[in-house]
Amino acid sequence: MMYSYIKPRKKSLFTPEMQLLSIFFGITIFMLLGTYLFLLFKDYRFTQDRSEIIELREATSMEIDLIQKSIISIEEEKVLSETVFTKNTVLKDSIANMFDLVPQRITLSEAKLLENGLVLYGVTPNKDIYNFMLQAPLRSIFHRTYSSFYPAENGWLHFVSTNYVDKEEEIIMKPIDEETQEDDAKEEIEDEE
Amino acid sequence: MKNNISRQNVYLLALSVFLLIFVLIFAFAFLIPEGKEYRNKGADLRKENKELKKYENFRDNILEKLGELKSENRNIIAAFDRDFDAVRFEKMHREYFNSLSVQEKVQLENENKFSVYEVNTTSQINSPKSFYNFLDAINKSDWIISVNFPIHFKREEEMIRSSFTMTVYGIAKDTNTSIGDLNTSE
Repeated sequence: MMYSYIKPRKKSLFTPEMQLLSIFFGITIFMLLGTYLFLLFKDYRFTQDRSEIIELREATSMEIDLIQKSIISIEEEKVLSETVFTKNTVLKDSIANMFDLVPQRITLSEAKLLENGLVLYGVTPNKDIYNFMLQAPLRSIFHRTYSSFYPAENGWLHFVSTNYVDKEEEIIMKPIDEETQEDDAKEEIEDEE
Repeated sequence: MKNNISRQNVYLLALSVFLLIFVLIFAFAFLIPEGKEYRNKGADLRKENKELKKYENFRDNILEKLGELKSENRNIIAAFDRDFDAVRFEKMHREYFNSLSVQEKVQLENENKFSVYEVNTTSQINSPKSFYNFLDAINKSDWIISVNFPIHFKREEEMIRSSFTMTVYGIAKDTNTSIGDLNTSE
């Protein structure tokens, strides 16, 4: 017995609605998973890049330290060399000044240049020439000047001139009593001369 | 009230709801936190990159400065690195003296990173000008040398005998390195 004149259509689970739904959610899930995997990969790369950058930064920092040490070292060398060169030039000028200071009528036989003084040995025709032509300029340069004479065979006088510059600190540190005593001693020496 | 929704549609609706819930859970539980982490890590990376650039720029600047310093002070650097050679010193400066004798090289206490040697010198000159020329030349010599007080000049007939000490500066290398005394005389 037939109830219908048409053939019964085959029933399937994948109806057009179901297919549409599957495609829609399929694409959605695929995109979500794709995005998630992309983010995971990028995170991994970021972590790797960051550690590489930190390593590179530490290496650069060490390089900077070395360069700075080299710069400091060269600057120290430069300062020291300039100090030495200046010292030599000053020394040259000091020696030149010393020889210029000695008048032609006085003959030097020996000179000792000390750090804070000058000792001169020589002969002078007489005391006046020594006092006016050598001792006067020496007095203007040095703080303490002592002279002693003894006769030479030809009637001239041998002299020993000892001159000292007092360091400023020493002057400040010296008690007043000592200074007074020194002045007294200086006067005594000058009187003797 | 009669329910017109077919069984098929109920399945469809249930599946849709299930998938929608899955998408939402996945998005909120995994995707969004991962996205936030991605953003933070990206910002960190940019920050680190910026920092690295700063370091690199600074490094480049000081490297340039070091290069300039090196080229400006080439002679000074070489002079500090060179060991003092008394024979060579005599050869170089003999022209300023009638006789020159460099007697010994004694190591003094290091000054900071510099090794310091003292050299005793005696010489004969015929005029003070020779000594001035020597002092000028010593500033251009192969070593960093300073002439020290006391300097002793003594007249010997037509010549002036001078004796003085010189300090030679170098870069302190190995403090245990033994320094052989040099004894040369003319």
